[in-house]
Amino acid sequence: MEKNDKKTALSVKNLIKYFYDPQTFQVIKGVSFDVEKGEFLSIVGKSGSGKSTLLYVLSTMDTDYEGSLAINGKQLTGANQNQLAAFRNEHIGFVFQFHYLLPEFTALQNVMLPAMKLGKLSPGEVEQKAYDSLKLLDLPDQAMKKTSKLSGGQQQRVAIARALINSPSIIMGDEPTGNLDSKNSQAVQEIFHNLTREFGQTIICVTHDPDFAENTDRTIEMADGLILS
Amino acid sequence: MSKNFKNTSINRQIASIHLTAKIWQTVVAVLGVTFGVSMYIFMNSFMNGVNSAQDSLAFSTLGHVRVYNDDHTNPYDPAKVIASSENTILHLRNKKAIQYTEGIKNTSQIISILEKRPEVTGIAPQLNFSVFFRSGSKKLNGTISGVDVEGEDRLFGIGDKVVSGEWEDLSFQKTGIVLGKVLAEKLSVGIDDPVNVLTSDGNSRNFTVVGTVETSVRAADASKAYVNIASARQIEGENYDYTSDIQINIRDRNATEAFIREIDAAIPYQTESWQTANQQLVAASELRNIIAMAVSLTILLVAGFGIYNIMNMTINEKIKEIAILKAMGFSGKDVRNIFLMQAFIIGIIGGLTGLLLGFGISSLVHRIPFRIAGFDTLPIVYQSIDFILAVVFGIVTTILAGYLPSRKASRIDPVVIIRG
Repeated sequence: MEKNDKKTALSVKNLIKYFYDPQTFQVIKGVSFDVEKGEFLSIVGKSGSGKSTLLYVLSTMDTDYEGSLAINGKQLTGANQNQLAAFRNEHIGFVFQFHYLLPEFTALQNVMLPAMKLGKLSPGEVEQKAYDSLKLLDLPDQAMKKTSKLSGGQQQRVAIARALINSPSIIMGDEPTGNLDSKNSQAVQEIFHNLTREFGQTIICVTHDPDFAENTDRTIEMADGLILS
Repeated sequence: MSKNFKNTSINRQIASIHLTAKIWQTVVAVLGVTFGVSMYIFMNSFMNGVNSAQDSLAFSTLGHVRVYNDDHTNPYDPAKVIASSENTILHLRNKKAIQYTEGIKNTSQIISILEKRPEVTGIAPQLNFSVFFRSGSKKLNGTISGVDVEGEDRLFGIGDKVVSGEWEDLSFQKTGIVLGKVLAEKLSVGIDDPVNVLTSDGNSRNFTVVGTVETSVRAADASKAYVNIASARQIEGENYDYTSDIQINIRDRNATEAFIREIDAAIPYQTESWQTANQQLVAASELRNIIAMAVSLTILLVAGFGIYNIMNMTINEKIKEIAILKAMGFSGKDVRNIFLMQAFIIGIIGGLTGLLLGFGISSLVHRIPFRIAGFDTLPIVYQSIDFILAVVFGIVTTILAGYLPSRKASRIDPVVIIRG
C-alpha cells in the first residue's frame, strides 16, 4: 500500500473546489502540498479563505472536487462512499470544534464506537483500549458517565480519545480548541504534541487561534482559496 | 463473516440505545402497532364469530348440498317440434302442463351413490309437504318434514333443540309428531295430546305429540312439524323409497362447488349448494370480512404514520450524531440499518403485545351477554391465520414506515451537517 515515499502521510495535487449554491464560486483555486508522517500541521486563514473546505476534502468526506488526494500513498480520489467510510474508520480520526459525542452513550461507549465498527479486536479488548485512552486523557473516572453530563473540556477530551481509538495515521481537527477556555485549550495542544512525538501520528488542524498555530510544526496560511506561504 | 457480524452487533447496540434513551417515545410507537394488531385480531375474530353463528343458524335446517327434483327444467314443447315451420298456423286449446315426475323415487339408490364418496359426512332424506294442522276447532297451515330420525339429528342437531319430550320417540312411535314450540302453543296442545293433519290431497290422519322443538328461527317454530319419514310417505300415498329432498353434509362446506361437479353426472336430479340457496348469507359474510379488514388496516395505517413521524423526528434530532457516525466510518448502509432495526424492534414488540391484547379483548367480548336469536354471548371465533397475518401486517407496516426516514438518514451528508 505504501509504495511511494514512505515519509509522506498525505498529498494533495492541484486541488480545485467550487460551491454552486447560491452561485458558482471557486473556493479553492488549485492547492498542492504534502504532509509528512508525524508532522503537526496547522491551517490558518480568515473566514471564507477556504481552510475548512480544504480540511473536509482532506478528510475524504467531501468528494466533490477536482485534483487528486492520496493518504498513506493510497489514491482516494474516485473511490466510492462506502470505501471512503471504511478508510476513514481505520486511518483518520476527527476532532471538531463541537464534540459531537452521542449524548445517550457513556464516555466509554463513545470512545469504543469506531473500534467496534472496525471490528478488528474483540469487544473486551476494545473496552480495555478505550479505557486506556481515557486514562491517557486523564478521564478514567468519567468512563461510565453519559457524555451529556460532562463539562465542555471533558467532552472535548472524550472526543479526542474517540479519535485515537483505532490508532489512525492522521488526526484531523476543525477548530479543536475553538470552544475551550485557555486552560483546556492548552491541555489539548499538549495532548496533540505528545501524540506526534510519542506515537508518530500526523495531525492536521484548522484553527483561528494564533497561539495554537504557533505551537505547531508547520503552518499553512490560506487566503482566497490559495496558499500564501 | 466475523467483521459483518461485529458491524451488526455495534449497529444493534446503537439501535437499542436509541430505543431505550427515549423510552416513552418508543412506548408510544409500540402502542400504535399494538392497537393496530390487536384490533385486527379482535375485528377478524368477531367477524368470524358472527359469520359462523350465521352459518350455523342456516345449517340448522339446511344441508351443505341439497338434492331435489325440479320439474320445471324441461323446456320440451312437442307442439313446436311437430309444427316447426313458420308458415304453419298452430291452434292449441286449453294447454296444460303435465307433471311427469315428482320427488325422488329411488332414494336408497342415490344414497348408496353418495355414501361411497369419502367427503360426505352425513345424509338426511326428507319428505317435505304442506298441510293443515287441526286441533279442536283450530286450523293452522304449515309444513311437515318427514325425516330419518337419526340422520336428521346427526346433520342438524335437532335433538338438542327439543324443549319438551324426546326426539328419539319419533323413530319407534309411527304416529308421533314433534311440533314447533310456537305452533304447539297456537294449537294449545302438549305432550301426548292428539293433532290432526290434513294434506292438500285431502288425506287426514291423527298424530300424537311426542315433543316440541325450539330453533332460532321463529317463523319455522310457528309452522313446522316433524314426523317419521315412513309415516310421511304413508299419508302422502308414496312408495317406501320416496323423498322430496336429500340433505347432504360434506367435510369442507366451502368446497361444495367441486363436490357438486363430481356428483352431478351420477345423480339424475338437481343439486344445489348452500351458497346458491343462501346468497344473502354469503354476501353478508363477505361484506363483514371486508369491513373488518378495512377497519383494522386503517388502524395499522394510522399506526404506521405515527411511527413514520416519530422516526422522522428522531432522525432530525440525531442528525449531528448521524453525521459524526458517518465521519467515523459508518457507511450509509450501517446508518439505514440502525434505524430500520429500531423500526423492526418496534414492529416485533408491538406485534407480540398486540397479539396478547387482541386475544384479551376478544375473550372479554366473548363474555358479554347477548341473548338474541339463539346467542348467549357475543360470538368470537379464533383462527390462527388471523393471528399470523396480524403480526405480519404489523411488522410490514412498521418497516415500511421506518424505511423512508432510514433512507433519509443514510443519505445525510456529514460535511453539510458538521460544517453547519
